[in-house]
Amino acid sequence: MAVDTVVGRLDKAKRGVGVSGRGPGTPGAHRSRSPLGRAGLTLVLFALPSLVLLLLLNLFPVIYSFIQSFQDGTPSTLPTEANFVGLQNYVSVLTSDQFLQSTLFTVIFTIVGVFGSWIVGLALALLLRTRIPAGGLFKVLLLLPWIVPVVVSATSWNWLVATPQSPIPMILANFGLGDVNFLGDPVLAKILVCIFKVWISFPFMMMMMASALASVDNNVYEAARMDGASSWQAFTGVTLPIISRTTYISWVLMTIFCVNDFPTIFLLTQGGPSGATTSLIILSYQYAFQNLQTGPATAVAFMMTAVLVIISTLLYQRIKKADIE
Amino acid sequence: MSGQPIAIGGAPSATLGRVKRTSAKSREQKGQWWRFLLILVVTLVVITPILAVFYLSTQPGQNSKVTGFTFENFVRIFGGTDVLLWLGNSLIVALVTVLFSVSIAAPAGYVLSRLRNRLVSGYSLVLFVVQALPVVTAAIPLFITFSVLGLVNTLPGVAIVYIGSTMSVAIWMMAAYFDSIPISLEEAAWMDGASVFGGFRRIVLRNSLPGILSTAIFSFLLAWNDYLIALLFLQDSTKYTMPIGLQTFFQQNAADWGSVMAVAVVMMVPPVLLFAVLNKYFSVGGIGGSLAGR
Repeated sequence: MAVDTVVGRLDKAKRGVGVSGRGPGTPGAHRSRSPLGRAGLTLVLFALPSLVLLLLLNLFPVIYSFIQSFQDGTPSTLPTEANFVGLQNYVSVLTSDQFLQSTLFTVIFTIVGVFGSWIVGLALALLLRTRIPAGGLFKVLLLLPWIVPVVVSATSWNWLVATPQSPIPMILANFGLGDVNFLGDPVLAKILVCIFKVWISFPFMMMMMASALASVDNNVYEAARMDGASSWQAFTGVTLPIISRTTYISWVLMTIFCVNDFPTIFLLTQGGPSGATTSLIILSYQYAFQNLQTGPATAVAFMMTAVLVIISTLLYQRIKKADIE
Repeated sequence: MSGQPIAIGGAPSATLGRVKRTSAKSREQKGQWWRFLLILVVTLVVITPILAVFYLSTQPGQNSKVTGFTFENFVRIFGGTDVLLWLGNSLIVALVTVLFSVSIAAPAGYVLSRLRNRLVSGYSLVLFVVQALPVVTAAIPLFITFSVLGLVNTLPGVAIVYIGSTMSVAIWMMAAYFDSIPISLEEAAWMDGASVFGGFRRIVLRNSLPGILSTAIFSFLLAWNDYLIALLFLQDSTKYTMPIGLQTFFQQNAADWGSVMAVAVVMMVPPVLLFAVLNKYFSVGGIGGSLAGR
């Protein structure tokens, strides 16, 4: 009996029932009775303002920056005034040491950001699922890093770590680690920025995981335990499969958030010391607004964009496919 | 992380014998306190940077005669800086963003929710891709275009960019909420002779307050917290929004932590207040929740 329940629930969960099922309003069966098909003009008018905005503010800039990436413009020249230079911007970017370094750092930052925040977020979501005195209060407090503006938290982290006389380096010095200069040392600066990103992002993961876990019935665990499953087996065999869809979505979203993240890094280190924490997006910013070369800047941005568009299109199709199955 | 046993905790087993149950109960209670202690420590560590902001903002500066708790930093920044102006700018920009973002996204989300055809799924794919685009890609062309249009260094300029950046996620969020409203409600209205617009306005919108609030909060936070666009577009200190105001003030008064943190508190209060009052409408990351739900 118990096994049936587990299998049944697992199966249900795998099919997405109760995890993410469509709401009752999803049309389909009722279409014949609806005037939606006849109200074409109204619906076009409904969508039109958003379409215009998306075209002007999102798609036009992408095409614009694609053109710019083959030109030698500055942030104050129009594309019509700049000269075409062919692939020169791409060549000069791809052959520069800083681009390689930035790509590597972006990858590290993203991997730590995604999996660090996922592990912390999942652990806390599991912890908060159990009965804990004042659990609700902790849930609210733990969301604060996500709510507080990043400029504020970066200011505070600056106070905590910026100089060897700041509180955290002083504490570390008491443990005999000597003068710890987080912002002066390339490796420490990288570690610091990654920790800061995990600190900001884990509440997102915690919320996502909590909502996925909310659909897990405790009886499933009872049944698993009666079957002699250990805690770890129950976790990998029951919990992980049930939350896998949400996990997958949150990984890809967090990847996008990390690759696109400008302020988290910039406010703490400005990309320094000596370019150690210059991610691709900061590199693009520096090319455009410090060196005043929009060509290489948009070349970097465009290569990032291409990667992200591919990632998100693949994700979108996989989610759609999962919905149909 | 030693989180594995925790996953199993929770409901005490009803199938165990009486003796076992009591021992399980006391073990469960003991476990409760251990978990409480663990989460207390974690939470304290996590919110230390935020507590530090509040604490430092109430500490007297180096040349101050006062000792202990004081509001002199707030008195100083409100009297001697443009912080109130920045706060006003931020509020205007954020509220305008919310207004436009919600009123443009709601009807578009309705189309996305109620129609299923090739055009609409193409639209939905475009929206999804757009939210993945790096802001920097758009920022450079928009900066050049807006310079030509005279919108650089103006509040409407940044508000327009924010409305554009909220759009795709806002539409997704609205659509995800509309999905949860049964179409039979509208059908009844249509039977009574209501138009599609009438049904949308009187039935769907009227039942969508939570969805509208979530979308509004998402848009508000995006506009309130943005740093990059404000950094590029706003050059006069009278035009600054809070993020740029705080950052500039911090660079100019790095030694005066009390005043810097007082400005930080001013910036933090609106979103934290919003969160305190409306926390059940906070959807983390906006699109995250709607993606999981759609």
